[in-house]
Amino acid sequence: MSALKDIPVRYETPQTTGGNPLANVFDEFIRFCRSRSLFMLHYCTGCGAIELPPAMTSRFDMERLGIQPMVTPRQADILLVTGYVSVKTLKRVILTYEQMASPKYVIGICSCTVNGGMYWQSYATAKKLNDYLPVDMYIAGCMPRPEAVIEGLRALMDNIAAGTSDNWKDYYQRYDHYLANQQRLFGETWQTPTDVIGEAKNYGVIGPQTEGEHTRLLSLHKQPLEPLRMTLNAGRLERM
Amino acid sequence: MNLTELILELVLMPFVAFVIGLGMVLMMRKIAARLQRRVGPPLFQPLYDIVKLYAKRTQTSHGMVHDIGIVMAVGGYIAAETLLPMPGMNGIAEKGGLITLMYLMMVPSLGMALGVGQCANPNGSIGIGRALTAMLAYDVPFVIVVFGVAWHFGSTNLVSMIDIQQAGGISTWGAAQMPLLALAGLFTLHGMLGKQPFEVYIAPAEIATGPMVEMSGKHMGGLFVMQSFQLYTAAALYVTLFLGGGENWLFFIAKCFAVLAVPVSLAYLFPRYRTEDMLRLMWKWPVLVGLVGLAFVMR
Repeated sequence: MSALKDIPVRYETPQTTGGNPLANVFDEFIRFCRSRSLFMLHYCTGCGAIELPPAMTSRFDMERLGIQPMVTPRQADILLVTGYVSVKTLKRVILTYEQMASPKYVIGICSCTVNGGMYWQSYATAKKLNDYLPVDMYIAGCMPRPEAVIEGLRALMDNIAAGTSDNWKDYYQRYDHYLANQQRLFGETWQTPTDVIGEAKNYGVIGPQTEGEHTRLLSLHKQPLEPLRMTLNAGRLERM
Repeated sequence: MNLTELILELVLMPFVAFVIGLGMVLMMRKIAARLQRRVGPPLFQPLYDIVKLYAKRTQTSHGMVHDIGIVMAVGGYIAAETLLPMPGMNGIAEKGGLITLMYLMMVPSLGMALGVGQCANPNGSIGIGRALTAMLAYDVPFVIVVFGVAWHFGSTNLVSMIDIQQAGGISTWGAAQMPLLALAGLFTLHGMLGKQPFEVYIAPAEIATGPMVEMSGKHMGGLFVMQSFQLYTAAALYVTLFLGGGENWLFFIAKCFAVLAVPVSLAYLFPRYRTEDMLRLMWKWPVLVGLVGLAFVMR
């Protein structure tokens, strides 16, 4: 176990201002509320999804911890990825993640999100989820039981209350790194409708690695979003 | 009444209504949990949700009208609270009356329609279309009920209605004098809350919560605030019209929660109606019962 201690742990102590003991009361209250109210968007990609209904319903009841399911990325705090992510699915997961409002957290459930699991040899799956998205918590297992899911969520709640779970900032600060991995899978023309760099600048979470050689490719291929064409022949599929 | 007292009441009434509304949200979620044999959320859960939503770091706004729509949705109810008498506080209820209150209770839905319209999300447009149709469905029996009550008391002044009911005791309560209208009113209240048989405009699994689909952060927080106001307004209006208002705070809050518990308990036992079925149901039964009640009142 001594080897475990040698692993360097990055930990930023919350800043205190001028010795005023009440200076951080409001921040702590907000962090506490964040930890006690988590809206969860479950992106049910694999078999791990089957463990969530028992965790939500009468047997284990997540709502007593303030965790409840939400159905759109705009409203959600947690993105639960429950199982293997194929390359095609990963695009949708990234699009979903970028639409969520920060602070946002990603949880990878099942071994498949940790290291590819039993799909290790598949050519079509992404092996490690945290190459493409900043994962806050892994819940390993094939599949983890509802007790394990709730244990993992409680650990995430403790991290949020302590202020140590801010990987959403990491996505902004090291966007070039994440984009590089995404481009490796999806090709150089990969782009999402969300302007991540613009958001990072606007909210002051920009880092030295936000922009780099891969984000330059982004501006090279950037196409302006076009509004959907409005047609009057409702009921018939329009060939665009 | 001097100006300072009036301003104090205008500030206090929405605030107290909000706090009671938070309790009602908690009660609603607790009842749902108990019916499903769960434990349910902790005591301050509605507060945690609202604080968390307002404390989001990134905000997604879809433009000016999106923001104004939410302000209208919350503001409409805040204005409505000042017209709804509480024990010991009348605000501007005497000058407003029942008709103004009815108009103000429609403002939030219209504000939502404006805000959702700018999001340009098809799910949102479908949802708000259904929500406004639902409003059309429950407003017809609502108007019949309000007209009957106003005819019975001979005024649209909520303060004088409460005075008449409290002076005469339980036998002069609206519910005792016009039971059919009270029944129709309870039905209308259920439709107004948008709870289970009538929540096709929210339909989380089908159209992704409809009007709320693009709301995040502060916008969603505004809607959570609006929900607690909505529960309070609907319950307090029913108590004022039919259950004699509040003699004191204890009775008032107890009556409000009791009234709300009826539709909320029924809600989680039903699946949902489609919009046209809701329209048919609402325009048939509450309207029929309300019209018969109206005939008894006007005879």
